[in-house]
Amino acid sequence: MATLQINGQTMDIGTVDPSTPLLWVLRDTLGLVGTKYGCGIAQCGACTVHMNGAPVRSCQIPVGNLTNENITTVEGLAAADGTLNKVQQAWIAEDVAQCGYCQAGQIMAATALLANNPTPNDADIDAAMSGNLCRCATYTRIRRAIKVASGQQPATAFYNAAAEGERV
Amino acid sequence: MNMKTTLPPELPSFFHELVGTNEATNTPVSSEVSRRGFLKLSGLVGGGLVLGGFATVTPHKAFAAEAAAAADGVATLSPFVQIKPDGRITIYSKNPECGQGIKTGLPLIIAEELDCAWTDVDVVTADIDAAKYGANQFAGGSLSTPQNWMPMRQAGATARAMILAAAAKQLKLPVAELTTGDTKVMHAASNRSWSYGEFAELAATMPVPAANTLTLKDPSQFKLLGRRHTGVDNLGIVTGKPLFGADVRMDGMVYATFTKSPQIAGKAVSFNEAHIKSLPGIVDAFIVEPFLDARFFSANSGTHFGGVAIVAENTWAAIKAKRELEVQWDTSTAETATWDDLVARATAGANQDGDPIMVNVGPPGPNAQRAPADRGDAAAALQGAAKVIDAFYEYPYISHAQLEPETATALFKDGKIEVWAPAQIPQGGEAGAAVVAGVEATNSTLHMTRIGGGFGRKLANDFVFEVSAIAKRMEGRPVKLQWTREDDMTHDFYRPGGFHAFKGGLDASGKLVAFQDHFFSHTGNGQGPMTSGDLAPNVFPMDRVENLKLTQTLFQNGIPTGPMRAPGSNALAFPFQSFMHELAVASGKDHVQFMLDTLGDENPAETPQGMHRGRAANVIRGAAELAGWGKAMPQGRALGLSFYFCHSGYVAQVADVEVRANKEVKVHKVYAVADFGFIHNLAAAENQLEGGILDGLSQLFNAKITFTNGVIQQQNFHQYPLIRMTQAPALETKFLQPPEFSPSGAGEPSMPPLLAAVTNAIFNATGERIRKMPLSELGYRLV
Repeated sequence: MATLQINGQTMDIGTVDPSTPLLWVLRDTLGLVGTKYGCGIAQCGACTVHMNGAPVRSCQIPVGNLTNENITTVEGLAAADGTLNKVQQAWIAEDVAQCGYCQAGQIMAATALLANNPTPNDADIDAAMSGNLCRCATYTRIRRAIKVASGQQPATAFYNAAAEGERV
Repeated sequence: MNMKTTLPPELPSFFHELVGTNEATNTPVSSEVSRRGFLKLSGLVGGGLVLGGFATVTPHKAFAAEAAAAADGVATLSPFVQIKPDGRITIYSKNPECGQGIKTGLPLIIAEELDCAWTDVDVVTADIDAAKYGANQFAGGSLSTPQNWMPMRQAGATARAMILAAAAKQLKLPVAELTTGDTKVMHAASNRSWSYGEFAELAATMPVPAANTLTLKDPSQFKLLGRRHTGVDNLGIVTGKPLFGADVRMDGMVYATFTKSPQIAGKAVSFNEAHIKSLPGIVDAFIVEPFLDARFFSANSGTHFGGVAIVAENTWAAIKAKRELEVQWDTSTAETATWDDLVARATAGANQDGDPIMVNVGPPGPNAQRAPADRGDAAAALQGAAKVIDAFYEYPYISHAQLEPETATALFKDGKIEVWAPAQIPQGGEAGAAVVAGVEATNSTLHMTRIGGGFGRKLANDFVFEVSAIAKRMEGRPVKLQWTREDDMTHDFYRPGGFHAFKGGLDASGKLVAFQDHFFSHTGNGQGPMTSGDLAPNVFPMDRVENLKLTQTLFQNGIPTGPMRAPGSNALAFPFQSFMHELAVASGKDHVQFMLDTLGDENPAETPQGMHRGRAANVIRGAAELAGWGKAMPQGRALGLSFYFCHSGYVAQVADVEVRANKEVKVHKVYAVADFGFIHNLAAAENQLEGGILDGLSQLFNAKITFTNGVIQQQNFHQYPLIRMTQAPALETKFLQPPEFSPSGAGEPSMPPLLAAVTNAIFNATGERIRKMPLSELGYRLV
């Protein structure tokens, strides 16, 4: 029986066709459906996960090629107590998502970017994020959320129940 | 605020059929008799709310969820509102969420009038149930907000009134001494307050107040509405929770692919069945016969193409086997059109007239009188014009390319069909699934999931009907159907391409006095145009010109077409607003001034469905001001203006565009001013406007679907590129919110103006007029 190292756990994947892309093992075998299928040819980035910390397209990685790599999916980003990472927090605070289907991949790419470059400029963001398509085209908000998550820009003013009466 | 919403006339006819009438079901008043009649009919006890116009469909579902909930002390005040003893409130969101923010927006409206704290609210997606929620549980036409604005306010106010009545009774205080706020009932005289939860059980038994006795807030009293709110599903989205149609999982589920004829409308005759069934992980493989004529868009008939279903133990096994599939297709009645041929025929016919475009004269209906849309005498006016401009415009077929490929899960068991689907018209999906499964409508249930991008693609329910047919064959086992991206791109209901041969006449003062268009479109049945391939004379400036001649040529071509974000408008905005700029340049006037002059009198339009010219003028002036229209620009860089009115929304955009060497185009910034009436969730409206602008940019530069002998030539994103992060310009948006207009939708009108704003800017920067999309075919590249 094969195992994978996913989100800090050793997970049994039973007997699977070794040509199966990691994407479908995550979704069908393990029920980790946060990682999405969009194109199957590494064009859209919806299936982005981390392999040993680096963003990769899980639709292009046959599961038979994996040995002991540490895989992180969107389900594994938050701390054990549920505390979200800074990117996840900024995505909520800036209301980045429209349909939301691509956003797990976007968050994985942005989290990897900030791990290597805590204060990316626009060119850094372009380089790190241009492999991830958003059909709803939330790109301006993704850029802003990365700037907010990295402390380079203040958060946008949203309704705040504690400051009732304040209009934004 | 204006309480009546009228369906915009530019919407495809199926929207009007969907709503059942030309008037939106935003009717606030229901009689006590019909309301009580419904309560009796549905067997609902313990209070319930049915909104006017909603109780018109025979209910076929019990209020089982509410009955079960009530046992746990949860009080059901209406199909929209439940309150727990601790004051926690559940609000049901009735319409499909496809990224437009409606799952947050509709409950916010209820919460405002319910006068509860937003932090006390849990939002739950409602069941598909016309008896409880009316016949308009759909996401399309930018109608979710305008159709539900007043009913949702009333739903909130009704529940609040019932809580107040219960509080008065329980506390033995006059209701007039009680006020509400933050999920509390307050008694100022004694300085006491109580959570709504303390009165919830009694409130659920209170009489449902008549709609005309409700007190709605004045907009100045709004606490929640008008501000930015983050989406209620955002926590689930950023943590990867199963929200989408693609994420549905069931015990014993099998996974299916479905392969259709590459030549559109071909039929499967046979396939290498033994080989496919011998592959690892394959559970079954079989031919599914076509049902009705699936070239034509339909949301509820059960129509789908035939093809080969492969059912497997997992998605990968099904996809892998699909790659080895060899099918004999009968293409004797398949589509045979070739795009390049249509281009040549339209180009050759540009100087002739087509057939008159007919419009209804008087009331619509099957016996409506029809007459040519022409007005005045365009031929004479063109002859007498000081200047005549003619131009030929071309735009291609394009694909929705929503990021979640079509997917749905179905179970056929015990004579019932149950479907889980990301459907924009779930009620239609439920009805058609029953037809396909061969069961009574009452034995079909569809659960709507979050939609991973719609843009109009998932208004069609072909994937719902396919999975229903496959599930019927796999009786007793849940089946998930997963389209590949290639399936999606080669079997869309495309935005049809088209051609316009324009003539415009200006008098000596530069006024537009004559307008002529020969429109080239497509027909599948030899009679009317394909869905979203029609033209009506209500497009600006045709609605403002004294002399109009409108003709069309319909090519025999049944490549499936359907509604796509701003149907009709998404195609027409580019040629019409580019040609308006050509006319402005010829008139010698400034573009902004020419637009305002052509709008003319800014008093409200004569008909409720028409464009309000004052609102149009205000967004044009607003965008010009926001962008600093007229300011000096560096060499090779210019501003371009465009305006479009559709779906009751007014949007003007100004693009700041630089054209560099080798036709590299840098769009530095887009300024947009919109009037959608009152904005109830600013964050959602901004998201729609920003996304619409970038969607337009994506279409303008790269999007093109072609077909050769009925076979679509693009398969995946490498042949159909979408805009990426590095190409996204800075955006500055502003909403005019004239207080006398109730909200309209933001999703669709946000997109169309972008196209000509950019091409007009390119003309202003370089002198090159662009009359063809996409720009990549003219050598331009967006950087």
